[in-house]
Amino acid sequence: MTDITKDAIAPPRSFLSQDAIQLFYRLLAALLICAVLAVLSDSFLSLGNILNVLRQASLTFFIASGLTLVVLTAGLDLSVGANVALSACIAGTVIHKTGSPALGILTGLACGGIVGLLNGIMVTALRIPSFIATYGMLWVLNGLTYWYMAGETLHGFPAGFRQIGSGYLFGLPIPVYLLLVFLGIGTLFAQRTIWGQEIYAIGANPVAARLSGIPVARRLLLVYTVSGTMAGLASIIFLSRLNSAEADIGESLTLPAIAAVLIGGTSLFGGVGTVFGTFIGALILTLVLNGMNLLSVSANWQPLVTGIIVILAVWLDMKTRRRTQ
Amino acid sequence: MREAAIVSEPNPLQRIPGVAMVLVLLIALFSVIAPGFLSVANLSNVLVQSTILTMLALPMTLIIMTEGLDLSMGAVLTLTSLCVAIVSLATKSMLLGLGAGLLVGTAFGIANGWLVAILGIPPFVATLGTLGMAQGLSLIVSDGQSVVGIPHSVRDIYSATLLGIPVPIVMALVTYAAFHGLLYHTRFGTYIFALGGNREALRYAGLSPNRLLIAVYAIGGAMAGIAGLLMTARMNSGHPTAGLGLEFDAIAAVAVGGTSFERGNGWLLGTLLGVLSVGVLRNGLNLISLPSSVQVASVGVLVIVALFLDGLRSRA
Amino acid sequence: MKQKLGYLALPLLMAAAFSTQARADGETIAIFTKNQTNPFFQTVRVGADNMAKTLNAKTLQYIPTKPDSIPEQLSQIEDVVVKKPSAIVFTPVDYKAMVPGVEKINEAKIPVVNITDRSAGGKFLSFVGADDYSLGLETARFLLKTLGGKGNIVIIEGVKGSLTNVDRVRGFNDALKESPGAKLLASQPGNYQRLQALQVMENLMQSNSQIDGVLAANDAMAVGAIEALDGANRKAQVIGINGTKEAIDAIKSGKLLASGDYNGFAQGCLGTMMAIRSLRNQPVISEIVLKPTVITKDNYQPFDVPLEQRTCPTFEEAGKLSAK
Repeated sequence: MTDITKDAIAPPRSFLSQDAIQLFYRLLAALLICAVLAVLSDSFLSLGNILNVLRQASLTFFIASGLTLVVLTAGLDLSVGANVALSACIAGTVIHKTGSPALGILTGLACGGIVGLLNGIMVTALRIPSFIATYGMLWVLNGLTYWYMAGETLHGFPAGFRQIGSGYLFGLPIPVYLLLVFLGIGTLFAQRTIWGQEIYAIGANPVAARLSGIPVARRLLLVYTVSGTMAGLASIIFLSRLNSAEADIGESLTLPAIAAVLIGGTSLFGGVGTVFGTFIGALILTLVLNGMNLLSVSANWQPLVTGIIVILAVWLDMKTRRRTQ
Repeated sequence: MREAAIVSEPNPLQRIPGVAMVLVLLIALFSVIAPGFLSVANLSNVLVQSTILTMLALPMTLIIMTEGLDLSMGAVLTLTSLCVAIVSLATKSMLLGLGAGLLVGTAFGIANGWLVAILGIPPFVATLGTLGMAQGLSLIVSDGQSVVGIPHSVRDIYSATLLGIPVPIVMALVTYAAFHGLLYHTRFGTYIFALGGNREALRYAGLSPNRLLIAVYAIGGAMAGIAGLLMTARMNSGHPTAGLGLEFDAIAAVAVGGTSFERGNGWLLGTLLGVLSVGVLRNGLNLISLPSSVQVASVGVLVIVALFLDGLRSRA
Repeated sequence: MKQKLGYLALPLLMAAAFSTQARADGETIAIFTKNQTNPFFQTVRVGADNMAKTLNAKTLQYIPTKPDSIPEQLSQIEDVVVKKPSAIVFTPVDYKAMVPGVEKINEAKIPVVNITDRSAGGKFLSFVGADDYSLGLETARFLLKTLGGKGNIVIIEGVKGSLTNVDRVRGFNDALKESPGAKLLASQPGNYQRLQALQVMENLMQSNSQIDGVLAANDAMAVGAIEALDGANRKAQVIGINGTKEAIDAIKSGKLLASGDYNGFAQGCLGTMMAIRSLRNQPVISEIVLKPTVITKDNYQPFDVPLEQRTCPTFEEAGKLSAK
């Protein structure tokens, strides 16, 4: 999984222009899908539907944005979906027991973050490959959630809390604001901070990164913790949007999040990719589902189409990247 | 020249603690606390239940040795299982069904290999894509329904015995022997070690790493086809979601078995022990009727502990 | 959450216990359900535990670790056959693919009762379930009656190919045929998942400016659809099926119009009762198909009781519960 250190020669800074071109291609692809859908379906281009797509994309984006950082370090976090489920269930219980949404939100974020931290410890201190460590974590979390929920459903939360997921502000859904905020923070963090640059460097070449004095283990801990915390955030959005939580909500979230990261142009070998790309990846996935619903296409076709898009996106990405280099 | 490519077979002694210790401990534990665990019927259950996973985990070991991965295996198995069901239903012939399954499986394997080797798409992405395709095709050909009414000859494969040994176990043993021979006693096996460790050496030897890589993925697909036959025989029907997720079980078994994701060397016996550890754990927990949520978590714990033990050994 | 399977409310049934304890007790009943995540199966398990406790028997719960996994349930059957419980109460994760498993149980001569989804093969001493078709029909009829027999309707389907979904959606469609004034706008799958139903509903609202009624094949999807409607500030009458606690609460608060009672608790109770009675050589009812009940604002009270405090029906009541 982790050969290729050969395209990891360029220093982080120079990725910006390269990435800009890649992002442009990707935006073009998203716009192309939009154009096709607009021709096929009258309702697609309505403002309502566009906001609708953005809101649906936000859940995938929150999970995928944290995951992007992990993938940038050449790691992977398979436990994000299970983490969302556990965090949602625990946060929901806290809100029910204390009546305080703020406390619930904090617990949800903390639970997600702690799980992420544990992943980070397994990867750094125990030196278990991230793929396997987080796969193990996935089952441990599932077991915990199943035990904790015992087949029950948590539902019915305060109206104020539910505004986070389903409310509007100046005509825009609140999750869309959150999406923009985290898109901004994520991009600034990755591109403009030293820590962000160090994460790129670790992914590009861990040995070189260590030799140049980057505290690799601490940065990895940070990255997994951030990924877990973003899963915690997604759990809050989920909870407030659906007004309920049950043990199996995470299962359908992991693979779309990974797909969004990959469609967005982040390389599994680390060191290459952007949070903005991941946003477009999430958008493309959501557009396809939205289009299929609007056109009443049988859901049987959905995995097939998604699979083709993942391969096409990554292949085109590599093609264009080679040409520009 | 070829010698340069050889990564020597890992010293088994060095490995034993990781997975074999876990397996021995589990067996010892369940013999004491789980009544009926050591009965012939139960041990035969464990082995038969492990056969489908064995047939996926062995080729997965080869693929991981080439620093690759095949996430599509579970979905491809599901699709081939449906193909076996549909074709044997239409033609009343088990062999034609198996042929169809093998064909579709191998086709997917070649497609995976082509995407990885020729197009250069990372294995994780390529096979995640084909996972979606195989899953989608399964839903489309079956329209989400089970396929039933298939001839008895298919079902008999799972329930029949040969010299008193259940046929699935025989098939798994033959598969293991074949893979062992292939990996450790043929040139092709040597090349596989080289694919993970030293691709340059292969080029110097005048071999095409791409073709070898495609061959490795094709073997994976073909094995998914054979496992698909077993799955259909086991359910006496085809079902569009039956094998989803098995690829992760296979990858976990390979990892538990001590095959490294980074150094590109593999240990087939370890994979077999890994599959058995998972099988014994599940079976034993069923026998002592622990709450299901504990069973869910236990597989995760097994994976983490085994890998942790391995890590300790390799550092020591 | 943690008040796990409560065995608190049993004293009530002392009489029943007394009358059936005549023969040897302490049997072990293995209960097979589809997953640990769907509240419906939790009601089945609590019902089964409740009845077993009443009759002085023990239960062992077998649930696949991966929800609805066919290979895992097959393995669990093989393991259980070694363990030889006195009897088995069985919900197949897939009604066709699990037939070889049932045949293994039959070969081992362990008596088995089929509950919830009717298996396509194998020998059972009794079947206890609800009629998905009439549940779909009756709940949809109720919704159409409330709408005055007209309006724009959408159907949110469950998992394609699952027995419950096929029958429920057939019931929905037959009810729609009875009301020529109603128009079916779309029938899209939400796979019994809340989030998927929510997103499907959000998308359908984009292409349809007026939706009056939503027929959802289970409660989780119905509640997901309601959240989508709330989010868009739109109103429609929504029905679900299963009669889960969350649905009852939603009916109470007027958000959900109705839910068809799938009565997992009674299925668990009666399935276990039939298994134990047959072991004790008492008469059993070979088929109990529970009458379809539509839970509405007017009759929800009896359903608004925590699971742990519900009581299993007696054998005499069992016959009356059946539609046949």
